[in-house]
Order: sequence, then C-alpha cells, then structure tokens
Amino acid sequence: MSEQTGAVAIEARAASRFYTMGEATVRAVEDVSFHINRGEFAALLGPSGSGKSTLLNLLAGLDRLTAGSIVVAGRDLSTMDSEALARYRRLTVGMIFQSFNLVPTMTLADNIELPLRFAETARAGRRDRVMELLTNVGLSHRAGHKPTELSGGEQQRAAIARALANNPSVLLADEPTGNLDSRNGQEVMTLLRDLNQKMGVTVLMVTHDPSLAERYARKSLHMADGRLVSTVEAAQ
Amino acid sequence: MIRQDLFELAARNMRNARLRNALTTMGIAVGVASLVAMLSLGIGLQGFANHQLMKSGMFQTVFVSSRQDMRNMEENADAKPEESPALNDDARKQISALPGVEEVAPEVRAMSEVDFGGKSNFTLIAGLPQSAREEDSIEKVKGRFFSSPTADEVLLQRDFAKKLDPNPDAVLGKTLTVRYAQRQSGDTSSSFSIERKEKQFVIVGLLDEEPFGGMRMISRARVFIPTQTAEAMNLMQPADTQQLVRSSPGARTYSMLTVRMKSAAYAEKVEESVKQMHFSAYSYLDATKSMRRFFAVLDMFLGIFGSLALAVASLAIVNTLIMAVLERRREIGIMKALGASDADVKKLFFAEAATMGLIGGALGVTLGWLIGRAINFGTNIYLHKMKMPAENLWTVPPLLVVGAIVFAVLVSVLAGIYPAARAAKLDPVQALRYE
Ligand SMILES: Nc1ncnc2c1ncn2[C@@H]1O[C@H](COP(=O)(O)OP(=O)(O)O)[C@@H](O)[C@H]1O
Ligand SMILES: [Mg+2]
Repeated sequence: MSEQTGAVAIEARAASRFYTMGEATVRAVEDVSFHINRGEFAALLGPSGSGKSTLLNLLAGLDRLTAGSIVVAGRDLSTMDSEALARYRRLTVGMIFQSFNLVPTMTLADNIELPLRFAETARAGRRDRVMELLTNVGLSHRAGHKPTELSGGEQQRAAIARALANNPSVLLADEPTGNLDSRNGQEVMTLLRDLNQKMGVTVLMVTHDPSLAERYARKSLHMADGRLVSTVEAAQ
Repeated sequence: MIRQDLFELAARNMRNARLRNALTTMGIAVGVASLVAMLSLGIGLQGFANHQLMKSGMFQTVFVSSRQDMRNMEENADAKPEESPALNDDARKQISALPGVEEVAPEVRAMSEVDFGGKSNFTLIAGLPQSAREEDSIEKVKGRFFSSPTADEVLLQRDFAKKLDPNPDAVLGKTLTVRYAQRQSGDTSSSFSIERKEKQFVIVGLLDEEPFGGMRMISRARVFIPTQTAEAMNLMQPADTQQLVRSSPGARTYSMLTVRMKSAAYAEKVEESVKQMHFSAYSYLDATKSMRRFFAVLDMFLGIFGSLALAVASLAIVNTLIMAVLERRREIGIMKALGASDADVKKLFFAEAATMGLIGGALGVTLGWLIGRAINFGTNIYLHKMKMPAENLWTVPPLLVVGAIVFAVLVSVLAGIYPAARAAKLDPVQALRYE
C-alpha cells in the first residue's frame, strides 16, 4: 500500500455524500472507495442518477463529503477550508462538463484567461499562454469568437483548453461527449487521450456509454444507487 | 485576484448589462447631486452670512471700559471695581500694543450746534475712527470717507442733511460750522473750565446707515468727524463731570475705548488680555458662537435631506446587484469551478458596486455643481431686478467634491455587502446543475 501511494493520483476512502431533503435523506454517494493511479485514464459508469456527477464534484473540491475522505495528488480534501479548496480547484484539477459551461458573454480567449486571472498569473505572458492553449486544441483562429458562434465540438475543445490553463495534474470530465454528435465526440475523445498519453494528465471521465469506456479507459468504475458496484481493469 | 483583473472583469460585467447599470449609476448621480446641492447651499449661506457680519465690523471690535465706572451696577457685583485701574492714555497705549490690534479709539460724542446756510440745528456729534472705513455702511457712503485721520471733514446722516437742504446731495463739498463746548484744564487739578468754540468743517459724505459702534446704538449721532480731530477739539463730555467729583481726578481718563482688530480671529485673545489688565471687555463673539452652531445644525439637516436621495439610490444598487447575482448564477458557479475563491467572487461584486459609486459620484458632483450654478444665476437675476448686488449663495469647496465622491463609493460598497455575500455563498454544484 505504502509504495503505491506515490503512484496514486486519486484515492477515495469510504466517501459518502448525503443530501437531506426535509425528512428524507438522499444517499447520492455512499461508502465509495477506489483509487486511480497517476497518468491513468479511468471511466466512471452507471445509469442516470447513480451518483456519478456527485462523486466527480466531490473529487473536484466543489462539494463536501458527508463522511469518509478523498486524497488527490497527496492532499486530503476533507481537511481543507474553502480557501484551500479554491486553490486546489485552481491549480490541481481541471474540470469539463457535458454542457461545456463556457461563459457565453466572453470570447474564447477571455474564457481561457479566467483561470489565469484567478491564479494571479503575471499579466505580461498571459495572452501568449492563452494563444498557446488555443493552438493546442486547434482553435487559435477562433480566439475572438463567442461560444455561441462555435460548434459543440469546438466549444468542448475550448473548455478543455481552459481546464488545462494552470497545468493541472488531474482532469475530471463529466460526460464530455454527451452533447456532441459522434464525429465531434470522436474528436474530443482523441484530444483527451492525447493529453493523457503525451502530457501524462490523469483523466477521470464520467460516461454512460460502456463502449467509450472500453475504447479509451484502462480502468472502469461502475456505480449504481450511489454505491460502487464493480471495478474493471483492462488487461495491459 | 489582482486589482486590475478585478476591475477589468467588473467593467466587462457592467457593460453586459449596460442599461441597468447606467440607470443605477444615474440614480447614484442624482443622489450625490442632491447631497452636493444641499450642502453647497448650506456652506454658501454660511459664507454669505459670515461675509455680511464681518463687513459690519461687529466681530472685529472689543469695547473696553474701566470697572470703576460700574460701581453702582448691580449686575457687575463680582467685578471688584476697586481693583480696576484707570482707563487712561497709558492703558490705551498698552491695549494698542496687543497683537492684532489695529486701532484703539475713544468714544467721543457731544451735543453741539451745527450752523449751515444761516440755520442752526442742535445735534449729537461723534468721532468716527479711521478703521470704520472698511465697514459696510461706510463702503456705501455717498461722497467719500475722511481724507485723513485729522481732517476737518464731516460725514452727515442723510436724514440730517435733508434738514440742511431739501436736496441732500447738494450739501457735499460745502462748509458747515460746529459750535461746541471745549473743556480746558483748570487752575488746580480739582477744576476745569468750559469755553464755547467754533470750528468749520467740509461736508464730504452722506451716510444711509448708522455706522456700527458702542453707545451710538443708544444715542444716535447725526454728524461724524474723525476721532482724532474730535480728540484734539477736547470736547466737553458727560463723563468729565463724573471724573471731577472722583477722589483722584488727575489725568484724563476714557469712559470707553473701542478696540478694532485686524480680523475677528484676534477678538477672543484681545478680550482675554484686556480682562487680565482688570478692565471690563465686551465683544459680540458670543453671538458668532451661536450663529456657528445654527449653521452646523442647518448643514446637518440639509445633509440629511440630501442623503435621502442617495439612500434611495443605494437601494437601487442593492437591487441591481441582486439581479446580477441571480442572472449570473451559472457564471459564478463556473468561476468557482475554475478556482475563484469566495473572497474573489465577493470582491468582484464590490468592485462593480464601487465602480458604479465612483462614476455616479463623479457625475453627481458635476450635476450638483450645474444645479448650483443655475440657482446662483437665477438668484442673481432676481437680485438684479431688485436692484441689489449679485451674491454667491452657492459654494462647492474641493473638499466637498472629494468627500461626496468618496461617500458615494462608500455607500455603494455598503449596498454591495448583501449581494456580494450572497454571490460568494452560492453553491457551485447547484449553480452548475441549474439550467
Ligand atoms: N442537491 C441535491 N439535493 C438532493 N438530491 C440530490 C442533490 N444533488 C443530487 N441529488 C440526487 O443524488 C442522486 C445522484 O445524482 P447525480 O450525482 O447527479 O447522478 P448522475 O450524475 O449519476 O446522473 C440523484 O438521485 C439526485 O437526484
Ligand atoms: Mg450527471
């Protein structure tokens, strides 16, 4: 176990997240334990409502555990205050969503500059960094465009560029191809795979498409009713 | 987040809801304008009143008398008249040497006969000190003031001049004769003699108003001559008999000296020094104290009224920012997901509030100044119609300009507290789920 820790990017130990709605308690995530190694490409599978997004938000430091602990890049999220969590989101993880979540009133360049502003990156080299990020996802010619002027695939690629702005070691993707047609979805998946393989970014991707997991992920976590029901590791 | 980024983002957000933010900013501008307008009026009125009162010479003057003369006055029971020295030439010199003292003049007044064009009138003549030339009433003299402190010239009360000639302006430059009683030193120190004398004077000016002075308020003089001329004439005065019956008559003493200061600022110190010399001193300074209090209260009320509009404007800021929080729920969620801290989000809304406050404040001061100019202009048209000189009732001091803008920013930031806290508290998971 101990020699493994250095190689582990994400580890959940009996992680739970319950919501109380009046009298009722919704057990969105219950007693989930797993680990993902550094540089691994993992998929989180399960039917709608099984708790995938809730778990991802917990890993992203956007939500707080009801019980258990989560350690990412050697840091225990359950002990962090909100300022430390914000720092963690800023520098350690990148997040992309099914609905892209680009700020619609900002150009692509301005969207990608946002995390650089929060990280207080020096203003001098910032525009160059933005252009570099856009070039990496093949969108340098779209820098001045608003998100609504772009196709879904382009928007998701811009969102990936934004997620990578501060060089995170972990990328969390919540159904990144869910809103895309198969050709655009293919493009986005290729990009994620390249990031994983060429830059060594650990990727955890939520999907309800088992074939996608089979093609890209080395490890698949299956959830149902908030619990982790199985973990499948592909043969080397 | 660094400040420059904060204000860049704030400016961007405000541009995205241009109409709403412009309207709110205008609301602040109107609020600040009303505050500036009210306070400028208060300050202007105060300045106007001060100016008028200072010109009257009232507050530049201290009246000094010996307590020996107050022995019978019950209300001065604690004055200890026996300790008070004589108000003689030595005392006069001493008072003249006090800092800020411009002139020390005795009260000289005497009944006399004035001959003009064959007719004679019995009237009170009085000495007018050189320093009186700055007084408002003297500034409005028809003709001119005395050419020198020892000139043989008179100023006449206009009503008195009418007695001499139905067309009073016609007497200017003409000569009149004053017949008066002159006091002459007697053979011994316990006597003096009185002799009738005559002296000719040139009429140089007519007065519409009574010049300000001590006893002149009670017994109004009609004919004014320079105080030094009057002193040289050795006019027999009512106090002379009182002095004669005193145990130690000796040298000449004054019943009252009028001390004129370079400015009202010296009055308090001079009054203090004179009292330490065991003389009795009186000035109208106490009256200014209550006047200053009055204007402080007036300014406060005007300020409260002026602030009402700004208070309403601050509610508009609260409203605008709450709308922005609701509208930008998802955007706030995105920013938090990208690593913005609660403090960053809070600061962003404060920056927006402060920007509105700054722009609104600057516009408001400009607007308030324009309103002031307009009212000043209107007032002066009215004053002109009433044949009165123009007055500046409206003063916007630089401190008020800066203060109003700072106040507007402060009020705006205060108004931003609740919306900013609400934005910072927003749960990013909920905000991103929301569609
Ligand atoms: N804020 C919340 N309050 C109550 N229930 C919630 C809340 N967020 C999620 N849930 C519930 O938790 C469960 C898991 O939701 P989610 O993680 O979004 O599932 P998935 O992403 O797998 O579709 C669902 O039943 C959902 O209704
Ligand atoms: Mg989901």
